[in-house]
Amino acid sequence: MVCPSLFSIVTVGENMAAHTSRAFLSLGRINVPGLGLHKSVSRVTYSTGLSTDSSKATTGSPQKGGKKVLSKKYKREPGDPRTELMPVDQDWTAVYPVATPFIPDAIPLPVRMGCPVKGGAPPEKKGNLELIKIPNFLHLTPAAIKKHCEALKPFCTEWPSALDTDAKCDEHFPIKVETKSYVSAGPSIRNPAARIVHLSVKLSSLNLNDQARKKMLKLVGDRYCKDTDILTITADRCPLKQQNYDYAMYLLTVLYHESWKIEAWEAEKTVADMEEYSWEGSLSQENILDVLVRMKEAGEGEGEEVREQLLGRREVQEYKDSVTRLKNEGENESTMLQYKEAVKKVLKL
Amino acid sequence: VSSRRLWLRMIHVCSRSRLCSLSVSFQACQSEKHFGQYYTLPSAHVRTVFPHGLPMRYKQQVKTFNEACMMVRPPALEVISSLKKTDNSKPAVRYLFYGLKGSGKTMTLCHTIHFCYTQGWLVLHVPDAHLWVKNCKELLPSSFNSSRYDQPLQATEWLRNFRITNEPFLSKIKTKQRYVWTKRESTEEGSTLGELVDQGITRVKTSSDVVGAVMKELRLQSGQPESDFRLAVAVDGVNALWGRSTIRKMNNTAVDPEELTLVYNLRKLMKNDWTGGAIITTLAQTGAVYTSKYSYLPKELLGEKGFDSMDPFIPVSVPNYSEKEFESCYLYYMDRHWLQYPHSRTEDGKKELIFLSNRNPSMLERICGFH
Repeated sequence: MVCPSLFSIVTVGENMAAHTSRAFLSLGRINVPGLGLHKSVSRVTYSTGLSTDSSKATTGSPQKGGKKVLSKKYKREPGDPRTELMPVDQDWTAVYPVATPFIPDAIPLPVRMGCPVKGGAPPEKKGNLELIKIPNFLHLTPAAIKKHCEALKPFCTEWPSALDTDAKCDEHFPIKVETKSYVSAGPSIRNPAARIVHLSVKLSSLNLNDQARKKMLKLVGDRYCKDTDILTITADRCPLKQQNYDYAMYLLTVLYHESWKIEAWEAEKTVADMEEYSWEGSLSQENILDVLVRMKEAGEGEGEEVREQLLGRREVQEYKDSVTRLKNEGENESTMLQYKEAVKKVLKL
Repeated sequence: VSSRRLWLRMIHVCSRSRLCSLSVSFQACQSEKHFGQYYTLPSAHVRTVFPHGLPMRYKQQVKTFNEACMMVRPPALEVISSLKKTDNSKPAVRYLFYGLKGSGKTMTLCHTIHFCYTQGWLVLHVPDAHLWVKNCKELLPSSFNSSRYDQPLQATEWLRNFRITNEPFLSKIKTKQRYVWTKRESTEEGSTLGELVDQGITRVKTSSDVVGAVMKELRLQSGQPESDFRLAVAVDGVNALWGRSTIRKMNNTAVDPEELTLVYNLRKLMKNDWTGGAIITTLAQTGAVYTSKYSYLPKELLGEKGFDSMDPFIPVSVPNYSEKEFESCYLYYMDRHWLQYPHSRTEDGKKELIFLSNRNPSMLERICGFH
């Protein structure tokens, strides 16, 4: 019975510059005939002749007893496991060319796995079901990957020499499209997961002014990551990959153009809608100016001039910085301390 | 037996962590040299200044030890030194104590209040503003303003305690306005504050409005050249004023704190548009409603509205005990024989106390009760 084995390889999209391909080999139950690996360990040692210590094996010579011959079946002694005979510089890719369960006598590593006996060590690898149950990646050593790459190289094109740094790649190819395709041997070659398309682009590479950027952020919501400045659009609503790709590009275009448009109702933006706290025109400014006027710091004068003069003072600027920092960054010990120092200076304590 | 008693008394006298004080040497006790040391409040002061201000467990401790000892800590001294330098003509400065649960905010507030009392200030102490926004047994619509609600029980209790604390001032301060309570009752202009307060205590229905009138009078009169008193407003749990309340109206909608007369008038006092005093406040999460157990920073407890109303204020952090303060507290408990087991007198025992309490004052006090 042949169980289908599953491989999936990530292919590159058109716009994307080809980076190293990533191969994920997922294991199912593997029984690959014809490659010389059988379920049982092949005992390749040819024991020379019959063992001289035959007293256990045979109860006397067969010619002795006459008709009643108890000929015990000759039991071959198990030879050394293959690990003893492996040279150190062997080609490991020949031992494990494909995904195979764990074979203790073919793997020269003293590996132990399982629950340790009290006061002792975990069980050894010989006859260890735990090691057989889990997937292993012994077929994907660096040497094996190298061979895979060499085999794939005839199908690849040369990497453009001008794109040697990440920054240059971002500059010339700002939009990155990520897709996955699946290969499997089974009744159908189609895989519905192959239709998903991820489109990522850095907002700094788009031409957006301040208002457009804020509107874009409000439109996309969760799809934007603030730390890396990357907008990711995932399209999976169409049945085909090409349709999803077209839809993702359409979404990007529409977002860009919509965020540049200014509607009439956007003028009604309130303080609660603002993304960041701005001190000018806030209650904090009113309060501090009010206090300073009552403390008669500026001396007598007209309303506007006094305000301008007070706003220009260094302590007031420091106070403004500390309040802005407190509101935008959230509060912790350092912001609180800075705010305290600024208030003390402004109120002259 | 007598030698043992002599030995005990020697320990009592030699204990480094205690400073005894009379009201004269009280001022001498308030400097950086005395960080970590305990000073004793005279029992007369405790009865007058703190009829309702001290934390419950501290009151039990005072009763057990037969004395009220407070530790001198940096946050309190910072505010006290600022208070010494306050200028009567400048607007009132707002101080806010914040810190983890059980780190000593209420005790620091009480220390500051005691200082103000010894300096002859008029202390307006609201021991727990949270009590005014929850568990209200009687809610009456206000006669003065129909959109607001009165809380007669809380108001009368507060007036009683206010009277105990500020006896000397009640006969000196005169009202500047005439207050009409009902068709037959009114308080004339020029009557003493004591009469106003008595009116509130006897006529329970008008007590909330009396509280409002008292606050208004004090606010207008402090800092004026002809008044010779300075006003210290002390509020514990100030975040209750801008939070939510659990009180419900007859139609089961929640009451906004602003609709409560007491809270409305207290908010007016919190603004710094009056001179000649100081506003000292504390944040409190214990007793707060609809707040997370772990929040302790000013902005998260006060909320946007509260922060904008209190701004600009001086936030003073009250941390857990430092090593020196912990030592001092440990020695005090040993001196009062509060630590009973011999294991707690060893080094290992002390390390265990540090580990269990993380030097948090209230935790340490609770744990020492079992050791």
